[in-house]
Amino acid sequence: MPEKLPEHATGKNRFQTAPATLFMDRFMTLVIKAGGALVITSVLGIFFFIFFQIWPLFAPASVTAAKSIQLPDNHYSIIGIDEWGSLPFLMEPDGKLLTADFETGKIQEIPIDFAETPQPRFTAATLNKREQEIMLGTNDGRFFLVSPNFSSSESDGRQLITINPRAASPESIGIPTQPILSIAYGDSGTQKLVVAIQPDGEGRRISASLYKRKRSLLGAGKTSLEATFDLTSLISGTPTRILVPGTADSLIVTTSDGRVHFLVLGGDNNGFSVIQTFAPFDHLENPSIAAATFLFGDVSIIFGSESGENCIFSLYYPEGGDKRLYGLTHEFAELGATPEFIASTLRNKAFLIGGGNKLSLRYSTTDSIRWQQSLPFNPVNAVISGKYQRMAILDSSNKLHFFEIHDPHADSGWNALFGKVWYEGVSSPKWEWQSTGGSDDFEPKYSLIPLIFGTFKGTLYAMIFAVPIALLAALYTSQFLDPGSRSMIKPVMEIMASLPSVVLGFLAAIYIAPLIENEVPSLLLVAAGLPVIAASTGFVWSHLPIQFRKFIPAGREWIVFLPILFASGYVLWGLGPAFEAIAFSVTDPTSRERIGDFPAWWPAATGTTYDQRNSLVVGFMMGFAVIPIIFTITEDALSNVPKSLRIGSMACGASRWQTALRIVLPTASAGIFSALMIGLGRAVGETMIVVMATGNTPIMEWNIFSGMRTLSANIAVELPEAPHHSTLYRTLFLGAMVLFLLTFAVNTVAEVLRQRLREKFKTV
Amino acid sequence: MKPLLTLLASAAVTGSAFAATLTVDPAIQPYNQVSGVTGNVNSIGSDTLNNLMTLWAEGFKKSYPNVNIQIEGKGSSTAPPALIEGTAQLGPMSRPMKSSEIDAFEKKFGYKPMAVPVAVDALAVFVNKDNPIKGLTMKQVDGIFSSSRKSGGEDITNWGQVGLSDSWTSKPISIYGRNSASGTYGFFKDEALAKGDYKTSVKEQPGSSAVVQGIATDLGAIGYSGIGYKTSDVRTVPLGESASSFSDATYENCVGGEYPLARFLYVYVNKKPGVPMDKLTWEFLKYIIARDGQEIVIKDGYFPLPEETAQEVLSQLAN
Repeated sequence: MPEKLPEHATGKNRFQTAPATLFMDRFMTLVIKAGGALVITSVLGIFFFIFFQIWPLFAPASVTAAKSIQLPDNHYSIIGIDEWGSLPFLMEPDGKLLTADFETGKIQEIPIDFAETPQPRFTAATLNKREQEIMLGTNDGRFFLVSPNFSSSESDGRQLITINPRAASPESIGIPTQPILSIAYGDSGTQKLVVAIQPDGEGRRISASLYKRKRSLLGAGKTSLEATFDLTSLISGTPTRILVPGTADSLIVTTSDGRVHFLVLGGDNNGFSVIQTFAPFDHLENPSIAAATFLFGDVSIIFGSESGENCIFSLYYPEGGDKRLYGLTHEFAELGATPEFIASTLRNKAFLIGGGNKLSLRYSTTDSIRWQQSLPFNPVNAVISGKYQRMAILDSSNKLHFFEIHDPHADSGWNALFGKVWYEGVSSPKWEWQSTGGSDDFEPKYSLIPLIFGTFKGTLYAMIFAVPIALLAALYTSQFLDPGSRSMIKPVMEIMASLPSVVLGFLAAIYIAPLIENEVPSLLLVAAGLPVIAASTGFVWSHLPIQFRKFIPAGREWIVFLPILFASGYVLWGLGPAFEAIAFSVTDPTSRERIGDFPAWWPAATGTTYDQRNSLVVGFMMGFAVIPIIFTITEDALSNVPKSLRIGSMACGASRWQTALRIVLPTASAGIFSALMIGLGRAVGETMIVVMATGNTPIMEWNIFSGMRTLSANIAVELPEAPHHSTLYRTLFLGAMVLFLLTFAVNTVAEVLRQRLREKFKTV
Repeated sequence: MKPLLTLLASAAVTGSAFAATLTVDPAIQPYNQVSGVTGNVNSIGSDTLNNLMTLWAEGFKKSYPNVNIQIEGKGSSTAPPALIEGTAQLGPMSRPMKSSEIDAFEKKFGYKPMAVPVAVDALAVFVNKDNPIKGLTMKQVDGIFSSSRKSGGEDITNWGQVGLSDSWTSKPISIYGRNSASGTYGFFKDEALAKGDYKTSVKEQPGSSAVVQGIATDLGAIGYSGIGYKTSDVRTVPLGESASSFSDATYENCVGGEYPLARFLYVYVNKKPGVPMDKLTWEFLKYIIARDGQEIVIKDGYFPLPEETAQEVLSQLAN
């Protein structure tokens, strides 16, 4: 008598699902749906977060009129401003400063104590923006240096700026009795160059004085006059303007006929020589220069022509030249009026150009006009505050207008990020990444192109190394290897995947890179020789009589193969130096003999460089990270091909090789493809190996023996220093976005292709 | 035999020079312990100063066991953001702050951060220990590292161009440098490259020790970092304006101004003018500048402050 079955197996409701199960089912459906939605939301959230970080990079400048202050009628020669932008000062002809407080609108006349009676008479005034000093030339061939001495204090929660100008004792220059018409100076810290123009009979005389100062860690020593020069004979034409750069070792003289003379001080301070003369507006009907000034950094000069044309000349080594000369690097749209002034900032490469009733804020690096307007007044002079946040503009009726500037990412934009840019000091437009300098006058180079290039380069070399090995290994493991060995190999490969990439990177930098440097020929021999030897061993083995082959069960052929491969690998590696001596020899400069030296041979033969930290090392190490991933997924895909297919194929008389190649491989192609794409994704995003094993050199060449800088490594290296919400910070996010889009595109294409392949082989 | 002996002798002299002759100026007083110093202090900033900060913190904790000091050193550029956000009270930097960084600080607090010089460093140019080079002029250094060559020298890509012979003649120069977060990167760019650009082939390493390690394993290498990171696998190259004025990176040459790449190392603090700073930070800075702290500076391979600088710093801090 059979035992009575339990109630749930016999009862009326035995085909009904338990309510608890149903509830659980519904509940879990909800949880999974919610989870999915959460994943999608967070991915979108990250996307939007990155997007909001980068969009200000492309935003235009905003300039708004703030207030106007009417000044007393006078002739104001120069206009300057404190670094906070709240107390502009103007120079009056009688040696007094006029200040206009931005907050209160208070106008104040501030006398300067020149410690001389009667008060000297001034005939020229120049503002040195870099040093924030005023230089005043007198009618008797002397000059005073006046420092405005701003100080900031806090009162009632408001910042209070006060000015307390101080004049240094005067120095003589040029002809003692003649008035100074124009004066300029540059100060490098150890050397100071003052240049003045004076009338001299019919013509004009240009005199220069060079001062030297010893500087040690403990501060500057005494300044002493080193030499004086008469430059008149060097310049043909009537000099109109002098510019002296902060390096104080050269000067620029413009003449009334629109020519620019570039004079450089000789190595032993023994005199100046004209090394270049050029005319920026030679092609115009009226070539004269209406306005000219140095761009911040004193490497480039901004010129404005009478007809409103505007261009920039920069100092660089022309292709093949051995002297730095000025060359045209940037051209801007016409202003539409004769420029009265050009004012550069003390923060970036922006400048303000104005004339007629036009005012235009432009940015040198990117060739862009940040802001431009026709005004209801005619500007005659202007200054931008030190922090590029406010400008003060003097109009023809002596009214001072304040404008607020909000343009935190002037140095960015499509052109700067993706276009070729003619940077200061280089001989042609370039894609370049060099984000930071030690000083403010550095021109940041934010081109993402070398980084995208580096990403592709690293990925390519990693995949070249990893794909053949991983695919063939997976094919062999799943189709030929006996199950016992396979169950060992697979977990071992998966453990390899778990090696932290920082460890691999460290290993690559400290051990592999120096090793490979000396053993490239051995490596090449092994890489080329082993596959050949493996294939021929296989060929010989398959033609051996069965009497020999029967000792090794099918799937365990590696017992024979491995020792052969190891032995031949060892021999090939050992043959490396001999191979090097034959194939990669260079002439030794001392003994005049041919010696094998691959690192020397490569640059000589290809014209490219050989670097110890190179793509080969990175490809090799990244391969280590990528191979296990491709291997595991491919192996799974191959093993998941239904057994019936293989058995059927074998039964029809196909060999193992035919079965693997013609039946298994096509059937598993969708899976193999995903494996490759996932491997590719890993290689594209790999960071630590690249950071540590390459030099992070943002170069653009496919040379396998040079390094690269990838997008991800760039973020890792530069993010710690990037000030919050600075252009660099946002550019790094843009790099992240590019990386995101890159992997997104790769994954999408991969997924579409995979679906197609799957569709194709669904029938089997 | 004789050259070897001289070599050995000179090695012995230079080796012991740091230990024997370099001492803290006797006028710098030892640190006096006070009571009631407890709490936490964070330091974020320079990698060059990282070891020093750690040693100072250890020494300081010996006097005040209840003090907890955390130190992070990824690069000088990380110091200003940390001071502004208030995540650190001390911001060690191997270069002075840039005006844009001071701007950001001033915007938040209304006054400028205070720079406290804490040690003298010779930024050294290193080569592999087997490199026979006698010295480099600053023009040559610029030609090796810079693509814009603002000092006007020729472009130098192999060792033959700087006067090495034999197997070195055609050996390419492999250039190592710091990443741009580092103050050393910025200082070197300003002083040695005359504000020019680095070549793109400069291998940027995330830390000073990585630079030195790279040079140690790469025969044709050249690179720069603070003198404190010197190891026995690399040697420093004497530098000068001309071939006749090569001077090595010694204390005397740095203070006297002969060595062209001498600099102060700083710790930046948030000190409101006229208001005394918090006691822990104040005592820690006093400890650094006092004899105790300066002896640690020597121990770590850097150079101590000259006495007048130390006095000036103390009086500024007390304000």
